[in-house]
Amino acid sequence: MSSSQPTLTRQPEPEPAREPGPPGPATVPAPGSGKTPVREAAPAPGGGDGQRTDAVLEVTGLTKRYGEVQALGGFELTVRPGEIVGLVGHNGAGKTTFVDAVSGLIRPDSGTVLVAGRPPVPHRHLIGVSPQHIALYPSVTVREHLKLFGGLAGLRRKALASVVEELAEDLRLTAFLDRPAGLLSGGQQRRTQAGVALIHRPRLLLLDEPTAGADPETRQALLDTVRRRAAEGAAVVYTTHYLAELTELEATLAVAKAGRVVARGTAAELLADLPGEVVLEFADGEEIRRSTADPTGTLMRLLAENTRTVTSVDVRKPDLDDLYRSLAMLGEAPANGPAEGETR
Amino acid sequence: MSTITAPVLRTGLLVRHNLLLRLRDPSQIISYVAMPIVLMMVLKPLYVEALDTGTVQAVTGPMVMFSVFALSIVGNSIMVEREWRTWDRLRVTRAGRTELLLGKTLPAFLILLFQQTVVLAVGSVALGLELPPTLGLLALAIAIWGFTLLCLGAALATVARSRGDLSVAADLGAIGVSALGGALVPVSLMPGWAQVIAPISPGYWAMSLIQSALAGDGAAMVRPGLVCLAIGLAFGAFATYRLARGWGRSRLL
Repeated sequence: MSSSQPTLTRQPEPEPAREPGPPGPATVPAPGSGKTPVREAAPAPGGGDGQRTDAVLEVTGLTKRYGEVQALGGFELTVRPGEIVGLVGHNGAGKTTFVDAVSGLIRPDSGTVLVAGRPPVPHRHLIGVSPQHIALYPSVTVREHLKLFGGLAGLRRKALASVVEELAEDLRLTAFLDRPAGLLSGGQQRRTQAGVALIHRPRLLLLDEPTAGADPETRQALLDTVRRRAAEGAAVVYTTHYLAELTELEATLAVAKAGRVVARGTAAELLADLPGEVVLEFADGEEIRRSTADPTGTLMRLLAENTRTVTSVDVRKPDLDDLYRSLAMLGEAPANGPAEGETR
Repeated sequence: MSTITAPVLRTGLLVRHNLLLRLRDPSQIISYVAMPIVLMMVLKPLYVEALDTGTVQAVTGPMVMFSVFALSIVGNSIMVEREWRTWDRLRVTRAGRTELLLGKTLPAFLILLFQQTVVLAVGSVALGLELPPTLGLLALAIAIWGFTLLCLGAALATVARSRGDLSVAADLGAIGVSALGGALVPVSLMPGWAQVIAPISPGYWAMSLIQSALAGDGAAMVRPGLVCLAIGLAFGAFATYRLARGWGRSRLL
C-alpha cells in the first residue's frame, strides 16, 4: 500500500441536530464520476404520523459527549429491511456508543433515533442487541438464557421451546443447551450471546463485534444466521474489524470516524477508489514504487519509459487491509491526495 | 396479551431467574442463617445471667447483627450483574425499569425474610424464646426491617466499585450498626457516649422494632418502624435512581 492519501469520498460535515423529518433524496453519484457511492435510504412516502419511511433504523444528528470527549458528533445512519450495514472504524470511533444510544442504554445529547418509525426506548422488542463484551450468567444454562430472554420478549411455552431448539440448531449450540454459560468455550459463549439477541426475531439487529475472538466454526455459524435473518427482512448493523466478514455478508459499509459516519458504500465500491501499487526493480538495484489508480496503465508506461533491465515487477491491487488502513486515515488528511506518488 | 398480564409475567420471570441465581450460589445464605443460630446458642447463658430479658437479647441481637451482614447478599446480587455486564443486557429487553427492579429485589427480600424467620423460629424452639400470641406484628417488623436492609444493600451496591469494597462496607457496617444499635450489648449497658449516638444506627431501631413486636406492643413499634421505613425509602430512592440509569460506573468493573 502506498503512502498516498485515500481518495474515498467523505460525508459532509454533520448538520446540527434536527427534528425528525423525511429523509433527503438518495445520494448516488453516477458511475465513473470518481466519487465513492454513498448509499442512503431511498425516500419513502411521508406519513406525518411518525411512520414515514420504510427504513427500520433512522438515525439523524446523534451527538453524545462524555466530559471532554465527543463520542458521537452528528452520527447519521439509515438501514432498510434486509440490509446489512457493516459499521467499521477504529476503537474510539463511536461504534459502541452508537449501539448503546440506539438500544436506549444511553441518552444522546441531541439527535433522533427511530426504529421502525418509533423511538426505541418503549419499543425495545423491535431490537436485538449483542454487546461487544460477553454478558451471560455463568451459572445459567444456554437453554435458560434463551428461555429467559425469549420470555421477556413475549414468547411463551411451546412457541418458546420450539424457537429455542431452532435457534440452537442454527447456532450449532444444540449439544450445549443444558450447559451453564460459565462452562462454555469462548466461541460457544459468543454464539449464546448472539442467540439472546436473535431469540425474538427482532426487526433491528445490533451486533457489536459478534465474532471478536471467535473460532472459525463460531464465525461461520454467526455469519450464516445473520445472513438468514437479513434475508427474512431484519435490518442489521454489524460492527467489526474484520472486513472480510462484511464482504461475505454482502454488507454495505459505513465508516465511523470521530463519532460520525464519514463514508458509505460496498467494499468493492470503496476499494475501487483506492490506489493500487506498482513496484519495479532494476538490475542496477534501483526501485520505482508508484501508487496509482490504474496499476496496469502505469506499469505499461513505466516499462515504456525505462530502457534498463527490469528484474522484478509487482503490481498490486488494493485489498481489504488497504481499505481498512485508508478508512483509518479518512478524515485526518485531505480526501483527494495525489493520484500518483513516486518514491525512489 | 393484556397490558397488565405481560408486565406481571415478565416480573415473574425475572423473580424466578434471580431466585435461581441465588439458589445456585447458596453459601452466603447458609452462612448467614447458621452463624447467628450458633452464636445465640453459645451466648444465651451469658445473657440470661446478666439480663432479665436475656433470651430475647440472645436471639434478637445475633439476628439483627447477621441480618445486617446479609446486606452483602443483596449487594452481591446486584454487583454480579455489573461484573457480568448482564444488567445492560436486561435493560435492552422489553422489561421496564420497575419490572427489572422488582425482579432483582424481590428474591433478595425473600431471602432476608427467610433468614430472620428461621433464626426466630430456632430461637423459639431451641432457646425458649416466647413468641407473641399473634404473629402479625412480628411478621410486620421482619418485613419492615427486611425492606430497610434491602434498600441499604441496593444503595451500597450501586456505589461500591468492586466486590472488595462491598465486602468491607458490609462487614464494617454490620459490626458498627449492630454493635452501636445494641445487638451485642443492650444500649442501656453501653458507655454514655455510645448511648447518645446509638440512635444514628439503623440497628438501634431494628432492635427496638423487633423487641417491641416480640412483646406484642404495637404502639411501641410505630416510631422505630417509621424510622426504619424512612431509612429504607431514602436509600431505596437513591438505589432506584442509580440502577435505572445503569449506574454509570459499570464500565469500571
